Amino acid sequence: MLQLVADGLVVGSVIALGAVGLTLTYSILRFANFGQGEFMTWGAYFAVSTLAFVLAVTGGGVMEPLGPFSFGWQLIVAMLLAAALTAILALVVDWLLFRRLRRGNAITLVIASFGAALALRNLVQFLYGTLPEYYSREIQIAIRLVPRDVMGGLRVTPDQMLVIGLTLVLMLALQWLLTRTTLGRAMRATAMNPALARVAGVDVEGVIRATWVIGAALAAIAGVFVGITLQIRPMLGFDLLLPLFAAAILGGIGSVRGAVVGGYIVGLAESLSVPLVGAEYRAATAFAVLIGILLLRPNGLFGARA
Amino acid sequence: MTAALEMAAIEGGYEPGLPILRGASLSVAPGEIVALLGPNGAGKSTLVKAAAGLVPVWSGRVMLGGRDITGLAAHRMVHEGLGFVPQTENVFANLSVLENLQLASALVARKRRLDLGRMFELFPDLDRQRKLEAGRLSGGQRQMLAVARALVASPSVLMLDEPSAGLSPKLVGVVFERLKAVRDTGVTILLVEQNVKAALAIADRAVVLVEGRERLEGPAAELVNDPRMAALYLGAAA
Repeated sequence: MLQLVADGLVVGSVIALGAVGLTLTYSILRFANFGQGEFMTWGAYFAVSTLAFVLAVTGGGVMEPLGPFSFGWQLIVAMLLAAALTAILALVVDWLLFRRLRRGNAITLVIASFGAALALRNLVQFLYGTLPEYYSREIQIAIRLVPRDVMGGLRVTPDQMLVIGLTLVLMLALQWLLTRTTLGRAMRATAMNPALARVAGVDVEGVIRATWVIGAALAAIAGVFVGITLQIRPMLGFDLLLPLFAAAILGGIGSVRGAVVGGYIVGLAESLSVPLVGAEYRAATAFAVLIGILLLRPNGLFGARA
Repeated sequence: MTAALEMAAIEGGYEPGLPILRGASLSVAPGEIVALLGPNGAGKSTLVKAAAGLVPVWSGRVMLGGRDITGLAAHRMVHEGLGFVPQTENVFANLSVLENLQLASALVARKRRLDLGRMFELFPDLDRQRKLEAGRLSGGQRQMLAVARALVASPSVLMLDEPSAGLSPKLVGVVFERLKAVRDTGVTILLVEQNVKAALAIADRAVVLVEGRERLEGPAAELVNDPRMAALYLGAAA
């Protein structure tokens, strides 16, 4: 039981990071971006390249593990570079595609995001191939935190603990940005009323760029987290797309807090359902929870009432 | 003397080929309150939105203190010194009263920022509600916050689109008294209004717009009893 909760928190962390980007894009650009999952994939693969670059530049060629973790400091640098590259990729996609369609209706943007997702997914396969990649081949020994006779026991790898801890730090940082900085207030103002934001002096195009940068960088970090705890595959983001949407909708689309809570609910629901329905139906349980919550709260847990 | 705000032969509208403004012109002198009046559909709101950069101007010029600001992006207008308070949804309902003002203040250059303490002196009601979400304010308080939000950026000209809309007659009086106090701080005001009587009571001059063009203009005190006003509102030519 405890083990399932811990596994659910790791998966939930990844979903929460991706869902935050999705909900930010939705609230400010007013469309559901089906390309969000691909930013996770690209982030993970960019980190493969930037890790190789960092290792080449530092001369070692081999990554020495950092303390109890399976990776070295080079992966942290590679992850930050990958987040920056993914943010640039999101800005390029916006410039090439979404910016031209913003004056149209939301459904045009949604369909365009389907196309962008398809192109990005195929491009990543073309560039990196379809075989799984790993940042490190180090084998990690899970630490036993709770003995086996207490609720089935709990063993967690240091990498998994880092993923959960870093996600919480990132979410707190995002909350601080949204509530305590001018950019955050401008983002919330633009989400509420873009026309009023303009006459109040907000550079709405600048806010849109910041939204892409934040959403894509968080997605990239989530992708790297998947790479650290599992493996890197071209379908990494696509497989997480429906859970991302489930989390964002469940939390109340447009609500950052809701996306985080929704991410953890979906992660925990998937994990805890495995003994009940089997691993092959774990994804379906997220939707059962989603339907249940929407029946009780049609706007999601933290969604504004219509 | 250079006009604080001048709009000359403005043509524009929301959709190409469907003009709402058909050569509208008006001028506001520094320190004046000018009421922009006219029947429904005359283009009053569209004219101030065009000046604020929210509606495309196809031809004509908008001058602010002698500087041509025609076609500038809406968010740049604030930095130039042109404030605008829309008719509805004019505060950020999901931000607190204080956050509304902090945001408006942080977006302009430091030298333009008005001290928030002074703003709360001018609008004491808001001081008591500074932590409250703006969406939970009463109609009158919202209008006060909307005006305060625009004033924080110390505009030289403030345009208001029907600030009396949805307010009780008593509250209209309170809001308009506050606008006079704002004018006394040196801010020039262009006031779009449906409430002709209340607008003329505080305005120095008025301009009447019909079908996208100015049709009548004069001192507010004289227009109060001018029979041409009624004729214009009833659809006859002046």
